[in-house]
Amino acid sequence: MEITRGYYDLCIPFSDRSKLKTLVKELIELGYRTIAIEQTYDHSKKTGEKRADIFPAPEDLSFLKEFESKIKIFSRLTIIYTDVSVSHPMSKSVNLQKFHIIAGQPKNDTAWTHCCSTFAGDMITFSPDDPKIFINRKTYQVAINRGLFFEIKYSEAIRNSSHRKDMIKVSHNYHSKGKSKGVLMSSGATNVFELRGPYDVANLGLLFGLSEEQGKNAIGANCRKLLLNAESRRAGKTFFVMTAKGPIVFSSSEDEGSDDEDSALEDDAMEGLEIDLQQPSKKKRFT
Amino acid sequence: MVRVKNRYIVVQIVPEVDAGKISFNDSVLSRCVMKNVGKYYGEFGIGSTEYGFRVKYCNDKTRIAVIRVRHRPHRFVTSILPLICVIGDHKAKFRTLYTGATIMQCNKFIVKHQRDVLDKTIGTIDSAKERSDFLKNIMEFSVD
Repeated sequence: MEITRGYYDLCIPFSDRSKLKTLVKELIELGYRTIAIEQTYDHSKKTGEKRADIFPAPEDLSFLKEFESKIKIFSRLTIIYTDVSVSHPMSKSVNLQKFHIIAGQPKNDTAWTHCCSTFAGDMITFSPDDPKIFINRKTYQVAINRGLFFEIKYSEAIRNSSHRKDMIKVSHNYHSKGKSKGVLMSSGATNVFELRGPYDVANLGLLFGLSEEQGKNAIGANCRKLLLNAESRRAGKTFFVMTAKGPIVFSSSEDEGSDDEDSALEDDAMEGLEIDLQQPSKKKRFT
Repeated sequence: MVRVKNRYIVVQIVPEVDAGKISFNDSVLSRCVMKNVGKYYGEFGIGSTEYGFRVKYCNDKTRIAVIRVRHRPHRFVTSILPLICVIGDHKAKFRTLYTGATIMQCNKFIVKHQRDVLDKTIGTIDSAKERSDFLKNIMEFSVD
């Protein structure tokens, strides 16, 4: 896991090579430093053929290698589903392990509940084509506690008016049910004209019921957390990145015995780049 | 001392086809922005932004403009800028470069930004005359 930098755009749909190249060039120009190329898999459409692995393998992104020094590129799979039975092939799939990020797009209420409570992915997204999902406060909280994130794709809102209304409806629902916790914004743009700069996106958050701070987090901190969570899901461990500022001093703390008790701290540690060694004792004092 | 707080938004106009020539002036810009504020926020939006709204600077060679809006209602303007696709008769989008509280800060930012643009593009121009013309075009800056 490398250290990623802002700003983030975690949804660029996969298309032909030349188009993708111009998109990535424009993204660099606008100031994005980490992006994810999206592929979709529709589980709700039943196909007759039986394969060992129903999920597609990630596309070869080696043609984007020239941008490697300027921008980090991840791969992402969006699973569209209505049926809860998708979780069984997901647990066995080898191809799924190769993706950096897995997103779920539930199409009805049972799928939404499943997506929030047991889905083995990193984020929940929706399309304005079927916005009639009933967002339940309880399941929303469950999803937040599990470390899932909710995605809003802004290019749909730019494209046409009825989609815009649906997007605003759903995202305001996020606001009223869960105070827009864990919401992140990404483009989903298929051409250069639909891309917007990071500041524009943060400001656009106001329409979707985000505060100024949440708007900035939606393209920054939340995406970073998501990538860390995704890495930990892939590795089966809790993951954090440490960076040092200035000289590193290793000091032996006196209360070493308490380290084991505070293993729950690891979750907290993911939220900050620099891990404050004083944190455990502080935490203990409060409890 | 109490004074009216303003926000100055530095925007760049990015046309859909890059090579195409695009011309605009401050009245076109302000009409376009106000129309869209009306479209998304209705009468309340127009009423609260109209007082103090002005396009302070507009340059169609460098495609940079500075819009002045009152503090607080400036959110109405900044949040709808990304949704605009047509400016005047051209298909173009806005790109927010900077939001400042005084026009001096915006001025500083624009000069810095233009210098960056200059560094990037000056290498690609061959003839000396074109280069000096380009320099003149891109660095001249005055706020009315």
